[in-house]
Amino acid sequence: MNILSQLNSGMLYLICGAVILFVAVMCVVFAVRAWRAGKAVGMDTAKMRRAIVSSATFAVLPSVGILLGVIALSGSLGTPWPWLRLSVIGALHYETQVAEAAAEAAGLPGLSASSMTATAFSTIALLMSVCIIWGMVFSLFNCKSYTRRLSGGAVKKDGRPSALAGFGDRAMTAMFIGLVSAYIGSYIGTFVSGGGLFSFAGSWLPLAVALVGAAAMAVFLLIKEKGKADWVESFSIAGSMLAAMSAAIFLGKLM
Amino acid sequence: MNEQNKQRIYESYLERTHRLGRISVVITLALLLGAPFLIGAYLQAPPDLGAFLKGFLSIGLVYFVSCVAEYLIYVPMLGAGGTYLAFITGNLINMKIPCAVTARDIVGVKSGTPENEIISTLSIAVSSLVTILVLALGVLLLIPLQPFLQSPTLQPAFDNVVPALFGAMACKYYRGNLRIAAVPLLLMALLFTLVPSLTGSTSFMIIPSGAVAIGLAWLCYRREQREQEALK
Repeated sequence: MNILSQLNSGMLYLICGAVILFVAVMCVVFAVRAWRAGKAVGMDTAKMRRAIVSSATFAVLPSVGILLGVIALSGSLGTPWPWLRLSVIGALHYETQVAEAAAEAAGLPGLSASSMTATAFSTIALLMSVCIIWGMVFSLFNCKSYTRRLSGGAVKKDGRPSALAGFGDRAMTAMFIGLVSAYIGSYIGTFVSGGGLFSFAGSWLPLAVALVGAAAMAVFLLIKEKGKADWVESFSIAGSMLAAMSAAIFLGKLM
Repeated sequence: MNEQNKQRIYESYLERTHRLGRISVVITLALLLGAPFLIGAYLQAPPDLGAFLKGFLSIGLVYFVSCVAEYLIYVPMLGAGGTYLAFITGNLINMKIPCAVTARDIVGVKSGTPENEIISTLSIAVSSLVTILVLALGVLLLIPLQPFLQSPTLQPAFDNVVPALFGAMACKYYRGNLRIAAVPLLLMALLFTLVPSLTGSTSFMIIPSGAVAIGLAWLCYRREQREQEALK
């Protein structure tokens, strides 16, 4: 049995499906409690119904985008694990980055089914699980006191964080810029010096794929801004990735 | 119903929400951390803890900082119930936050009120359920497509998932932040060109690259703050 067949086995579907089922049940419990509490404090049920309908319709498009992420990762990690990661806690950009870094740490040349081993997979799965748990850990120990402090006025009237949190948002963007720069820099370095210092004989495929991804994203952003179509943003990352991955099939034949 | 009674019901709801939230988080953590070991046992290949530690020291630290920032920024928008659920179900930036804010705007509730707490929780719970449902249906349809997805023709596509993602993200994040992006990009391109063997440790290079970008962002932020103060 090859590694992808193992990663797509019934047992993995069962393990991942059980975790997803638990989270789905929790969502139902939280929703029912909130609905009952809303009625108990005298909220208009029509307003609550509007919130539910708007959230359900809003979530459909991004969910399809997330599904494309499952498809993108299924070629290297099988289907059940990306299904779990993207249904619970994860996010498309996070999962791919961590899976790549974990593959590197596990001694693989990259995130690819051709070099995947069972040990590498379980190591990747553990690293993907651990790296993103901090939001949950903080909410476990700090949510109660933090939300109480916030009710003391650290939030602006529109619900956004106060000036104190102003740099936090920028720091996060800057950190992603640093992260992306490291990888794009590595693709440039691979092309320029991968086949010998300044020989320009290294593989150009990752750099070309990244360029196609960037161009596709530019098109999505253009459509969003010029066409005033905000819904396009839900598909932008996954759509750009699929465009670049499709280009890789054709570009790979030129190598 | 008088205000005092309403407040008492709401306080009791919040108290029980925190208890339920903590229990849910503990169980979810146990399930998520246990799953890789369970899968490892099934595959007869437990995780390599040395490689795990190496990976964690590189990418894990970056995401620790990211999680701290996300937590501080998003909790004020989500409320208590919304926070527990959102951090369990993920996809915050691309779905939960805009979804909760949109629902709140549509209904017209103010932040910090019991109504906001209820609407945020409803919004995040419902959007999470929609995602779970869409993904479950999608995965069901994917099963017959697996032989096609595993064909050698498609392998270059799946081998280039990461460059595809970073290309798209570069466009998104560099746009409007060119002053911050130029230095780390040039620095990394130069480093990887001069020391090609570094490509095996790209995830480690995120730390210096991120530090340079954050340093530049801090300088820009301070300058803007000073300019704003001068205008007052």
